[in-house]
Amino acid sequence: MKRINRRDFLKTSAAAAAATMAATPGLTYAQLVGGGAPFNDYRALVCVFLFGGNDSFNMLVPRSSAEYKVYTESRQNLAIAAEDLLPISPLTSDGAQYGLHFSMASIQSLFESGNAAFVANVGPLIEPTTREQFFNQSVALPPQLFSHNDQQDQWLSLKGEAPSKTGWAGRMADLIRNNVAGQQMAINASLFGSNMFQSADETVAYVMGPGGPLQFEGFSTDPTAGLIYEQRQAFRRIIDVEYGSIFERGFADVQRRAIDAADTVTAAINSPQVEAITTLFPQSQLGTQLETVARLIAARDQLQMQRQVFFVATGGFDSHDNQNADQPGLLANVSESIAAFYAATVELGIADLVTTFTQSDFGRTLTSNGDGTDHAWGGNQLVVGGDVRGGDLYGTYPLLQIGGADDVGGGRLIPGTSADQFAATLASWFGIPDNDLSIVAPHIDNFAQRDLGFMVG
Amino acid sequence: MNRERLTSFAGAALLALAGCGGSGAGGEGNQAPPLPQPPPVTATEAFQFLNQASFGATEAEAERVIDLGIEAWIDAQLRQPASLQLPFLQSLGPQPLFEMFELQPDRADIWFRNVLHGDDQLRQRVAFALSEIMVVSQLGALGDQPYALASYYDMLVRNAFGNYRDLIEDVTLHPAMGVYLSMLGNQKPDATRNIRPDENYARELMQLFSIGLVELNQDGSVRFDAGGQPIPTYDQATIEGFAHVYTGWTYAGATQFNDAFPTPERQVTPMQLWPEFHDTGAKRLLNGVNLPPGQTGEQDLADALDNIFNHRNVGPFIAIRLIQRLVTSNPSPGYISRVAAVFNDDGSGLRGNLGAVVRAILLDEEARPALPMEIDGKVKEPLLRLTQLWRNYDAASASGRYPLNYAYVVFGQGALQSPSVFNFFSPFYAPPGEIRNNGFVAPELEIATEYLNTFITNYMFAQTFLWNHTADTASEEITEDTVLIDFAEEVATATDIDALIDRVAAKLLAGRISTGLRAEIAGMVALIPEEQAVFRAAETIYLVVTSPEYAYQL
Repeated sequence: MKRINRRDFLKTSAAAAAATMAATPGLTYAQLVGGGAPFNDYRALVCVFLFGGNDSFNMLVPRSSAEYKVYTESRQNLAIAAEDLLPISPLTSDGAQYGLHFSMASIQSLFESGNAAFVANVGPLIEPTTREQFFNQSVALPPQLFSHNDQQDQWLSLKGEAPSKTGWAGRMADLIRNNVAGQQMAINASLFGSNMFQSADETVAYVMGPGGPLQFEGFSTDPTAGLIYEQRQAFRRIIDVEYGSIFERGFADVQRRAIDAADTVTAAINSPQVEAITTLFPQSQLGTQLETVARLIAARDQLQMQRQVFFVATGGFDSHDNQNADQPGLLANVSESIAAFYAATVELGIADLVTTFTQSDFGRTLTSNGDGTDHAWGGNQLVVGGDVRGGDLYGTYPLLQIGGADDVGGGRLIPGTSADQFAATLASWFGIPDNDLSIVAPHIDNFAQRDLGFMVG
Repeated sequence: MNRERLTSFAGAALLALAGCGGSGAGGEGNQAPPLPQPPPVTATEAFQFLNQASFGATEAEAERVIDLGIEAWIDAQLRQPASLQLPFLQSLGPQPLFEMFELQPDRADIWFRNVLHGDDQLRQRVAFALSEIMVVSQLGALGDQPYALASYYDMLVRNAFGNYRDLIEDVTLHPAMGVYLSMLGNQKPDATRNIRPDENYARELMQLFSIGLVELNQDGSVRFDAGGQPIPTYDQATIEGFAHVYTGWTYAGATQFNDAFPTPERQVTPMQLWPEFHDTGAKRLLNGVNLPPGQTGEQDLADALDNIFNHRNVGPFIAIRLIQRLVTSNPSPGYISRVAAVFNDDGSGLRGNLGAVVRAILLDEEARPALPMEIDGKVKEPLLRLTQLWRNYDAASASGRYPLNYAYVVFGQGALQSPSVFNFFSPFYAPPGEIRNNGFVAPELEIATEYLNTFITNYMFAQTFLWNHTADTASEEITEDTVLIDFAEEVATATDIDALIDRVAAKLLAGRISTGLRAEIAGMVALIPEEQAVFRAAETIYLVVTSPEYAYQL
């Protein structure tokens, strides 16, 4: 019998998730974007991830009577009262009228001023999918639909059936890594911990706290500072000791990135031009993270940044219980925090260089379990920025009917637009050429519309 | 390289205990033939073992392991009574319901007391591992229910060496889980109001606590269908079947079914069935089993939990997770299979004996390989880096308390402080670089971010330089709750730098300090004037506890 060595085992079964060793996109990049020439401008993408699965059919709601009636019949005690909806006027009419959740007044005004848009009923797909195809299993589907972590990973990685360990922001960073050689900070920065979105093969995301990087206590970079300088040097050299275990080396890598970035980045975000920002942010976790992102963007010249992707997040959206009590506060926080961030980019004069967008595990069931909802599939996402073709809805707003054309059971709606299309549209704006979009969004070629049109080209 | 390092230290693994009964004498006269004697335990091995089986090896405990032998030490631990949390919280007196959240620091306190000083080290370590598999958390609706959390943790501690079938029943009916994954108050369908049973608990019990998403072989490898696709363990219809099973349960003593008021009594009492809210239809379970209609809620629950318990995945699923928490991130198929086999049958025909599983994990040849490879072992969990330091340096506050309710902020983890049911880190996490590229995982590195590593490094700086036995307790920085470590012994040796380093390395690194780390510490400490002995000792401990080799558990 063949003796299985450890390495063979790990390649085939260490992680059940890594079950099939299909080729992962992004392992061999044909070329670097534009031959690796530096970009001549600055652009930033800000992903606001709403952990738990935002019930976004209560965020963007049909208001016209026929559609609203279907909505209330499906949602029953979870429906938002018609008079409480904040009306919006999409530039392109699909015949219905729409309103926003009553706690999202700030987004309502951004929408009406043309700086915010919604993409309706978007979610992970491998190819266009109808209800009939879903039930007769004649279409490839993302595995483990309706499971939190798997669908978060789908949104963040767009991996479909492949066991990819990279995210779509990570793959964008890998593609442009030579175009931004002078940057003092990684392309990808997270203010909410490690995440699949920014995971990459060639580049590493930098993880800071909600308020920015921490500085090391008791360290100085000033050679005349005596012991606190020597202490830093000793600490730094210990990281570079040749270690025998992959775990020691993996840990040392983090320590190395932490100490090498802490001083530069901290100095940059405490500079006078950053301190001059006057926009006030909500004192929530999300507000704090977005305030820090604004400060980092304000420091972009000092850090020689040309392309950045930020990951911020907030949780609590898994509203199995108490949805009517909890959702207003959750959505108000999203609305106020994102609106404050947009205002800060206006103050900095860079509103058209920064695009903010939401992602979330999934939409939620239209039916209720009494006082809450369960995991579903398609949902509505928000995009905000000066380069957003705002004041409009993209994708197709679905029929909110139990047993309707998009329902696969209990009011779980098949997305009409894929997360790949959503990502590809943002990636194009970010500077990824059309022929590399399938690295970022691996299933984009399965969809006729490669660009949803919500970004200024 | 690792191998060289370890063998070169094997000599220094010193203390190699004579006197530990390994001569295998016997066979005199009419005595029964001698039992085979386990080889004597070296000090290095004892440390290595205790970092797997306790909240941090100490010299005192290592001596006990050497005296008893590893197997006997484990068996003694399996008999140790449980150190609990709830009696401690209750001893603090009644707390007005709306101020109960103020007891969360006390819950942190009793957790630290138990894991630092409890005699049931192995039980506490396994319970902590279970708390990272069957997750409930203070962050969320349970924030104002410390009794529920303490009671849940005690339930894990009690079941740590019990039967897995009892464990999942106790988990399922515990009101903390009922609140956390919303089975509490889950009711049968009501078509007129478009209400269907809540699927939250149904999904996570299978995905995270028992069988996972795909069919596994006994060695943990994935089973594929004819088309080469992994075989899913369940589908949405199965989840809905279980969701119907878990209907009708609410707080014990509730006055109405949706009475969700968490009185102290309700927080600690298993949930109770309200038959009229339980769905009595047929229900689809795993492996094609269907429950007949008309059963009671209790019968449905018992059958459903049996159905999960008997799924072939449970053995390898639990084996992988417990091995990862205690011993190594990347167990071989053989290791998983051997442990799963014990789960399936402990030798007496019993399935699900967790004490036997823990024993099998810790006694396996792969737990402490003679010639370790560079992928053996794991990254230490951040809290274990702290508890190992504290256990070795008699950490205590003036008040006797350890009220670190903020552990999850600084260390990225705290007992029952996970950000979600998915724990602090995923069993599948693989950081970019050589670990991922070679197909390995390193779960703990998911929370070893630049941010948290810096936070912990700074905490260790304060702990060593400021919060020590020489601290001025009259100063404003030191409160009666500030946890101070005592390294007077190191201070006394600080004029002799090599001796100082040896002392710290013996306590914290099982004597296995790399030449690189030793040289850096020696160079740094030599810059500190001899009369500043406290700083010399603090510097040594600080550079050790922030080093990659201390963060590594082999």
